[in-house]
Amino acid sequence: MKLRRYETLILFNPDMENRERQEILEDLTKVVEEEYKGKWLVTDDWGVRELAYPVAKHTRGHYVRIEYGVPGCAIQEIERKLRLNEDVFKFLTVKLQDKFEIEEE
Amino acid sequence: MAFKFTPRKKFCRFCADKNLPLDYKRPDILKEFITERGKIIGRRITGTCAKHQRKLSREIKKARQMALMYYTTIHSVEVNKKIKGVEK
Repeated sequence: MKLRRYETLILFNPDMENRERQEILEDLTKVVEEEYKGKWLVTDDWGVRELAYPVAKHTRGHYVRIEYGVPGCAIQEIERKLRLNEDVFKFLTVKLQDKFEIEEE
Repeated sequence: MAFKFTPRKKFCRFCADKNLPLDYKRPDILKEFITERGKIIGRRITGTCAKHQRKLSREIKKARQMALMYYTTIHSVEVNKKIKGVEK
């Protein structure tokens, strides 16, 4: 299937433990690489940052940016998984490239 | 006698500097294109070209969604802190 390159910025609860956050990310890696045969590219941890406005009564949040190549239909599943967790406050998925080949990276 | 005011020629900062990232992940740059109250400043004022202004407003809106920038000062964490400070 045709792969596209996406990026998702996720805002986590700042009080969350590292282990829990890691579990969510590992879960997503599985979806990307095993279920949809895509490729996980980057995990960019921004750390805890001050928010511009309070979200879920928190003034700080932990941002993690991830990049991956998957077919378009995988996004629905990834976002569904994110929505299930209460410690994921917000997320935003952006398409970076229309074409993506695993071999290129 | 009559002094004619000639404003400085405006230019699009994103066209002039191709390496300047126009991205929702860089609120530090986007902040220069909003007012103190968070409104997006028009093209007439900043001189941004049409193409980049469209992109700019999209990126600002994305940054707002992700709490990287505020929608309006009422929501702003900084302002809320000040208000609370006054009450105490």
